[in-house]
Amino acid sequence: MKGVSRLWITVIALFSFLCVILLTPTFMGDKLPSWWGKVFSSKGISLGLDLEGGIFLLLGVETEEGVEQEMLIVEEALVSKFREGRILVKNSSVSDGTLTIGLFPGADMDKALEIARDEFEEVADIGSDGFLVRLSIKSSYVDELEQNSIERVRHIIENRVKDFGLVEPSIQKSGDDRILVQVPGASKKDRQRIVNLIKKTAVLEFKIVRAVGATRENLIAAAEAGTEKQVTEKGLAIHEGDTGNENEKFFLTERLASVTGEYISDARITFDNYGNPAVGFTFRGEGASKFGKLTESNIGERLAIVLDGVIKSAPTIQDKITYQGTITGTFTTEEAKDLALILRSGSLPVPVRVEQERTVGPSLGQDSIEKGRFSMIVGGILVLVFMVFFYRLQGVVANAALVLNILFIMGFLSAFGVTLTLPGIAGLVLTLGMAVDGNIIIFERIKEELVAGKTAVHSIETGYARSVWTILDANVTTLLTALILFWLGTGPVKGFAATLSIGIVSTVFSNLIVARVFTNMLYRDKKLTEVSI
Amino acid sequence: MRIIGRLSYDFVDKMGGAMRISIALAVISIASLLYHQGPNWGVEFTGGTEIHIKLAKSLEGEVLKSALAENGFPSESVQRFGLPGDNEHLIQFAPELATFDQISDFQKKLEELFATSENFEGASIQRIDYIGPRVGKELITKALLSILIACVGILAYLVVRFEFGFAVGAVIALIHDTLITVGAISLADKEFTLAIVAALLTVIGYSVNDTIVIFDRIRENMGNFPEKGFRELINDGISQTLSRTLLTAITVFIVLLPLFFLGGSVIHDFAFTLMVGVVIGTYSSIFVASAFVVYWRKRKEAG
Repeated sequence: MKGVSRLWITVIALFSFLCVILLTPTFMGDKLPSWWGKVFSSKGISLGLDLEGGIFLLLGVETEEGVEQEMLIVEEALVSKFREGRILVKNSSVSDGTLTIGLFPGADMDKALEIARDEFEEVADIGSDGFLVRLSIKSSYVDELEQNSIERVRHIIENRVKDFGLVEPSIQKSGDDRILVQVPGASKKDRQRIVNLIKKTAVLEFKIVRAVGATRENLIAAAEAGTEKQVTEKGLAIHEGDTGNENEKFFLTERLASVTGEYISDARITFDNYGNPAVGFTFRGEGASKFGKLTESNIGERLAIVLDGVIKSAPTIQDKITYQGTITGTFTTEEAKDLALILRSGSLPVPVRVEQERTVGPSLGQDSIEKGRFSMIVGGILVLVFMVFFYRLQGVVANAALVLNILFIMGFLSAFGVTLTLPGIAGLVLTLGMAVDGNIIIFERIKEELVAGKTAVHSIETGYARSVWTILDANVTTLLTALILFWLGTGPVKGFAATLSIGIVSTVFSNLIVARVFTNMLYRDKKLTEVSI
Repeated sequence: MRIIGRLSYDFVDKMGGAMRISIALAVISIASLLYHQGPNWGVEFTGGTEIHIKLAKSLEGEVLKSALAENGFPSESVQRFGLPGDNEHLIQFAPELATFDQISDFQKKLEELFATSENFEGASIQRIDYIGPRVGKELITKALLSILIACVGILAYLVVRFEFGFAVGAVIALIHDTLITVGAISLADKEFTLAIVAALLTVIGYSVNDTIVIFDRIRENMGNFPEKGFRELINDGISQTLSRTLLTAITVFIVLLPLFFLGGSVIHDFAFTLMVGVVIGTYSSIFVASAFVVYWRKRKEAG
C-alpha cells in the first residue's frame, strides 16, 4: 500500500478548518460571539426568498424615456444656439432618437450645420436635407445614456429601500435593463409601501401660479389659448391640484420650473400649524440661491409645489425663502414619512415599471425551511446507513468523505455568497447523488477486481485508478452543462448552476482525493489481506 | 455484499422491445401534452397573477373555482399543490384581471372573503406572484435556449471524448428522458414552474452521468478486448456496470423519498419530477443510449 500523502492530509485539514469557520455564522446565527465579526466574516449562507419569505421585485427601467429626455434637452439647446446665431428656425421636432429642425428658406445652412457639429458632433450623426437639419443620436451614446440611467435608478432605489429600515435588502442590476429588488422577511403589509417607495418618480418642482380654476377649460381660456397644446406652446402648463380645496382642481403655471427637488439636501416629516403631517425640506448651495431669487421676485404670488406633475400645495409667498421650506397637503403620517424619504433619495431620472413580483408569506417560508431541512436530514441519514450496510468499512470511508464534501460545498457556497434557493437545493441533490455515485463506481470496481481473484492491495489500487476517468468524464460533462447554464441562465436556472458547479468540483475532490486518502490511512500499517467492502 | 453477481445477459437483444416501450411512453407523453394543450405553464411563463393559498379544510378544486368566481374572482385555473393533506392550492388569474397596481386591492378583497365565507374559514394567502407579460416570454425563451445550448455542449464534449455514435446516443437518451418526464408532469396535471425546470435540468444531468459511466466501460472493453464483437462488448459493459447503475439509482431515490413525503408543498412537485426522472434515466442509460450505438455501428460496418 502506498504511503499516505502528508500533503493531501494537510490540504484536507486546512479546507475543513476553513469551511468550519465559514459556516459557523450560518449555524450559530445570533449566538455568534461579538469578537467573531472582527476576525472572520460573520455572514453565513443566505436563503433565497422562495425559502425564507419576503418580497421580490423585478423592475424594468424605461431607458428609452431617458434618451427621449436627452433629445429634448439637445433640442432646446440647439434651437436657442441657432437663434443666437440669427438663424431663422421655423419648427423642430423629436421622434425615435432623431431631432429635426426646420429652417426658413434662405437661412444660412452652412452656419447651422457648423453650430450643430460644434456642439453635438460627439453624440449624434448630423446631416441636412433641404432646409432641414437632422441629428440622429449615436447608438454608442444611447448605450451610455441607458447604462447611466439604470445605474442612477439602481442607486436611488437602493437608498430608498435601505432607508426604509428593513433587514438586508438586496438591489442588483439584472440583465440589460432591469433591476432586481429583494427584501427578505418583508410582510404583506410592507408590500404596498415598498412598492410605492420604489415606483414613485418623485420629481419635485416649484412653479409660480398664474391662475386657478375648477376645470381645464377655465385655465385654457385664462391662458388665452384654444387648446391645451397651444398652452404648452406659450410656455405654460396646466397641473392637477391635490390641495384639498374644491375650487382649486387645476392650476396654470409656467411650463419649466426654475427650481427643482434636485437641490434638496434633506427632508423630514414635520407638522403644519394645524398639527397635520407635512414634509420639511432644506436646500443646499445653488438651490438655495435659486429658490431665494424665485421667492424674492414673486412675493405676494402663490408658489405651487408640484410632485410628479400634481400640485400638493400652493402657499402664498410672504417673504424671501432660501434654505428651508415645507410641503403641506393631505398626507397621512405614513405618507409624509415616505415622501420625506423619497425626497432625500432624489428623483428617478426615468420611470420604472414592475415586471415581476413575488411575495412569499413568512409562514410558507418557515414551513419550507423546516420541512425542507428535516426531509434532507432524513434523506442524508438514509444514504449514510445504506452505504455502511452495503459497503461495510469502505462505506464508513465513503460516508466520511461525503460529510466532508457537504462541509466543503456549504463552506464554498458561503464564501462565494451564493444564495440558496429551491433550484439551488436541486443542484445540491444532484451533486450528492453524483458524489455517492462516484463512491459506488469505485467500490463496485474494487469488488470486481476482488472477484477476479486479485489481491486486496491490487484491487484497491486498480479500483481507484480505473474509476478516475469514468468519474472525470461524468463530472466534466455535468460541469460543462452547469457552466453553460450559469452563463446563459437567469434567476433560478443560474442558482441551480451555481450550486451545481461548486458541488461538482468539491465532489470530484472528495471522490478521488479525500476517499482515497482515508482508505490509505485505514490500511496504512497493516499488511492488507482483506478489504472490508 | 453484492446485489448482482456475475451476469451475462443479452441486453442488446432486449433493446428492440425497449424501443417499443420507449416509443409508447413518448407517444403517451405527447398525447397528454396535446390533450392538455401543452404543459400546464406556471404563471412565471404565462404572465399574470398566481396566488398560493392554504385552506383549513379540504375543498375540491372545482368547488374552490366556482366559489371564487361567485365572489368576483374568475380564475384561469385552480390546482392542488403539495400532498392532498396540505390543502394547498395554486390559483391563476389572467393578466388582464389583475394588473400589478390592482393586486393590493385584490389581496385585500380576497382576505375579506376568507374572513367572511364559510368555505374559506381559516384560509390564508401564502404567496403572491405577479409576472408581467414581457418577463414571461423571456423566461421561456431563455430557459429553452440554455437547455438547448447545454445539450450541444454535452454533445461536443462526448464527440471529443468518445465516438460520434456514443455522443448522439447519450443526447437521444437525455431527450427521451426529458420528454417522458415532462409527459409525466403533464399526466399528473402538475404545474410547469421554474422549479420544475430546475428539476428537469437535474434529470438531464443525472441521465448523462448515468449514460457516460456505461459508455466509459464499453469503451474500456473495446480497448482491452478488441477481438470481441461489438454486441458482446456492449452487453459486457452494461452488465459490469449494472450493479453500480442500480445502486446509484436506489441511493438517489432514497434521498428523494423523504423530500417527496416530508419536504412540504414547495418541494413536493420538485421531488416528484426527480423521482420520475431517475427511474426513466436509469432505464434509458441501460436500454436506450446503447441502442443507438448498436444501430450506428451496424450502419458503419455495413458501409
